[in-house]
Amino acid sequence: MRASLFITCYNDTLFPETGRAVVRLLERLGVELDFHPQQTCCGQMHANTGFRPEAFSQAKRFMGLYRNAETVVIPSSSCVAMIRDQYPGLFEELGDQALRREFAALLPRVYELSEFLIDRLGVDDVGAYFPHRVTYHASCHSLRGLHVGDRPMRLLSKVRGLELVPLENMDRCCGFGGTFSIKNAEVSSAMLVAKLQEVLSTRAEYCTALDNSCLMHLGGAMHRQYAAMRTIHLAQILCATEAAPPEEAE
Amino acid sequence: MRTPIDSRRLILDRIRTATQNQSQGALAYAELPRSYIRRGRLGAQDRLKLMIERLREYDAEVVECAPDELQAAIGAQLALSGRRVFVAPAGLPADWLAAGFDWKIDRDLAITEIEQAEGVVTTAFCGVADTGTIVLHHAESEGRRVLTLLPDWHLCILYASQVVETLPEYFDRCQLPPPLATYISGPSATADIEMTRIKGVHGPRFLNVVLVRDED
Amino acid sequence: MSGSFTGRPVLDPRLAPPFPTAALPVLRNPQLRKNVAHATDVIQSKRARLVAEKTDWQQLRTAAAAIRSHALNHLGEYLEEFEARCNAAGGTVHWASDAAEARSIILELLRQEQASEVIKIKTMTSAEIQLNPALEAAGIHAHETDLAELILQLGEDEPSHIVVPALHVNRSQVREIFARRMGLEGLPDDPPALAAAARNYLRQKFLTIPTAISGANFLIAETGSVAIVESEGNGRMCLTLPRTLITLTGIEKVLPRFQDLEVMLQLLARSATGERMSPYTSLWTGVTPGDGPERFHVVLLDNGRSSILARPTERQTLRCIRCAACLNTCPVYRLTGGHAYGSVYPGPIGAILTPQLMHMKYAQSLPFASSLCGACYEACPVKIDIPKVLLELRSQVVNQERVQAARFGDPMFIGMKAAHRIFSGARRFRAAQWLGRFALRLFTRRDGWIHSLPGLGAKWTQTRDLRGLPSQSFRQWWAARGKEDR
Repeated sequence: MRASLFITCYNDTLFPETGRAVVRLLERLGVELDFHPQQTCCGQMHANTGFRPEAFSQAKRFMGLYRNAETVVIPSSSCVAMIRDQYPGLFEELGDQALRREFAALLPRVYELSEFLIDRLGVDDVGAYFPHRVTYHASCHSLRGLHVGDRPMRLLSKVRGLELVPLENMDRCCGFGGTFSIKNAEVSSAMLVAKLQEVLSTRAEYCTALDNSCLMHLGGAMHRQYAAMRTIHLAQILCATEAAPPEEAE
Repeated sequence: MRTPIDSRRLILDRIRTATQNQSQGALAYAELPRSYIRRGRLGAQDRLKLMIERLREYDAEVVECAPDELQAAIGAQLALSGRRVFVAPAGLPADWLAAGFDWKIDRDLAITEIEQAEGVVTTAFCGVADTGTIVLHHAESEGRRVLTLLPDWHLCILYASQVVETLPEYFDRCQLPPPLATYISGPSATADIEMTRIKGVHGPRFLNVVLVRDED
Repeated sequence: MSGSFTGRPVLDPRLAPPFPTAALPVLRNPQLRKNVAHATDVIQSKRARLVAEKTDWQQLRTAAAAIRSHALNHLGEYLEEFEARCNAAGGTVHWASDAAEARSIILELLRQEQASEVIKIKTMTSAEIQLNPALEAAGIHAHETDLAELILQLGEDEPSHIVVPALHVNRSQVREIFARRMGLEGLPDDPPALAAAARNYLRQKFLTIPTAISGANFLIAETGSVAIVESEGNGRMCLTLPRTLITLTGIEKVLPRFQDLEVMLQLLARSATGERMSPYTSLWTGVTPGDGPERFHVVLLDNGRSSILARPTERQTLRCIRCAACLNTCPVYRLTGGHAYGSVYPGPIGAILTPQLMHMKYAQSLPFASSLCGACYEACPVKIDIPKVLLELRSQVVNQERVQAARFGDPMFIGMKAAHRIFSGARRFRAAQWLGRFALRLFTRRDGWIHSLPGLGAKWTQTRDLRGLPSQSFRQWWAARGKEDR
């Protein structure tokens, strides 16, 4: 089984340890991974902020790199949602029917990480060991965009030693929203506080999710407030074994 | 200054221009997807039970009676109400107008007269069990709209054969669309103050139903 | 009591401050936040229970979306059919291309009636055209009869929600307003007493004022009928007691057939108030001798709707049945309430409707007042893809910015253009990563975290830390690994 890893611009720059965990995890599961060095960004930030022609050009570039990929794995549900939900419209609107058709052929081969594990590899037990109390935040893109359903929960339920604590109002937005966190920083922060109260009240040691975007927002506030909780991407939990616990962040 | 005819033309032209390039997927009326529940699945007894349950959830008083007990049941409800002055639509059966009460029959009554009534008695067109709704088409025995609006107490005579389970079934019962209709689902209420539901801002605060078991 | 530092909230998009600014006084007002969160939570949970109970909920949504879309696709035909039937039944249909024309038509009708007062049923459309001030200026006093609108009118306040407009006001605030304006010194603050005070205050008005103004929930083309859904009974009062009734409605409210109500009525109350049906739904057609008004007028309002109709993605905005389920489910609205949107239409639907009614000249901050979480789309009974429309409107706002000189001084615009250049090539991207790592080192403390940034970054760091950029990016790790392993 071969797959191309699209790391995403922000994971590459801010959360390389998530990428390393994805690589170790998938190689452990027998996947032969390649990484296209020309990759940059899927265009989501621009599309969501109203810069559509710019997003189109980034989408076109993505297609150029991956049109012949057997499978593309992406450890970020918001980026997959961008590709699945917005690429067709972008290609149609900006007048490229050939690209739209090519994309339609590629689309079934693009997976978010939990989708790849459950649907493509057919595994929910990846042999992980993570002896901690963990709560799971359902990012809006994974919940309402990709409809990942219970895939992350199934994966977490098979992690040995892990105690999963339910999060109240799990489906309410954390307030990150991309550039919303800057353009409407105060409202974003108020949403963050409300979310953080619920996350912290689980008394978990870790809060996990499919997206480092939400986790960066939640984790940034946890750190500011000296909270006794950290954020960690699902990939890093799944990669952890007795022999190889997760990397501590630098 | 634009004339009325100009505005009409202007708006319709704008609309025509806006809608002239229809998308391929545009469906004709008959093709619109309607896979929601139309027909109810409850048997008659359960349907009536549901209707009564929903009415009582609205704090409506509900009593049941056999067809030959109806007159007595009406009399009893009127007596229990503690009221004396009632208004009735002109088409209400005369033998329902129990003795011992002050009846105003609505043959073009003045509003001030209706205002003085303490209660009103009517029939209905239909009852919808799913939502506990009483449907008035304002026929002769249902009365014009103001009759069931101004008095504080409304006694509605509903026949079991008039009760359907689902809202679509009511629509199926309408041979023609009614020119006037009022759907009553509980007494007047508001939740405008701190989301606390309060009964009876305007409109009758008390709804009583006699359910006549004419299908038993 | 509006909670805004500057007094009465401004619901005119031409004058209102942008959303991020307008939200600030609300975010800082615990009472207001508590009122809004309480109200939305109550309706949300009631709605959720009823949605779970209605096993064909999704099929109803599909049908409703299809019916509304179809009606919009054939809007001209259906409006003409409605007009013909309504006129034939004794009504008179008028067409108003914009707000000014609607006001002028209504004022003329009232002049013919020699009306010095009118009673009104709550209608968002009349607030949209700013009718009440125009009536006052012409010496006509409009009495709001909806309890919430009455509270706002007497309290000199503005609505903050489409269905429960006074949800930002609590009982003691209502008590204070009623005691003062109705002269009821010893009025207690329990809701039943307050409702009774309103009932008494309005009773005489219903019985004596011969002219009423209403909105409409639905117009039925097949029959020329109008339907109004309400809870209190003030609607029924206004629809049956006066001599003259004027119904103001947007052109988009039309349904093809009477039977289409079987879908819409099952969705509306459950979505709007978390009830299976609202206490009263009234349906009437033209004039019925002996029952209700002798004179009936319908004012069909365009005011920008036909422009929305013309745009393929945005047309779905007009499906809206004003249930406000999107407001109740929105995590942003829950915190800011309605006044922050600076429009009579707040919340998610307001964020797409308001700028469009203004032909994208005003309210340009509203499409950005969303984290794109999608909860509104999930809740919408007519399946309006609000996030999709938000994105389309954001794009239009940015396209306006592209040709304005102000963009050269806008850090956000400059930043986005720079980011695009960076994402356009891998070498540039790697260079930017290197530069970023280098520059941010200045701000990175010994614990490896950034606590404070200048410029736009300050918006992040005002409430959150940011981890310092790792010394090695993922791609650098991959490249190095490749050299080692292979």
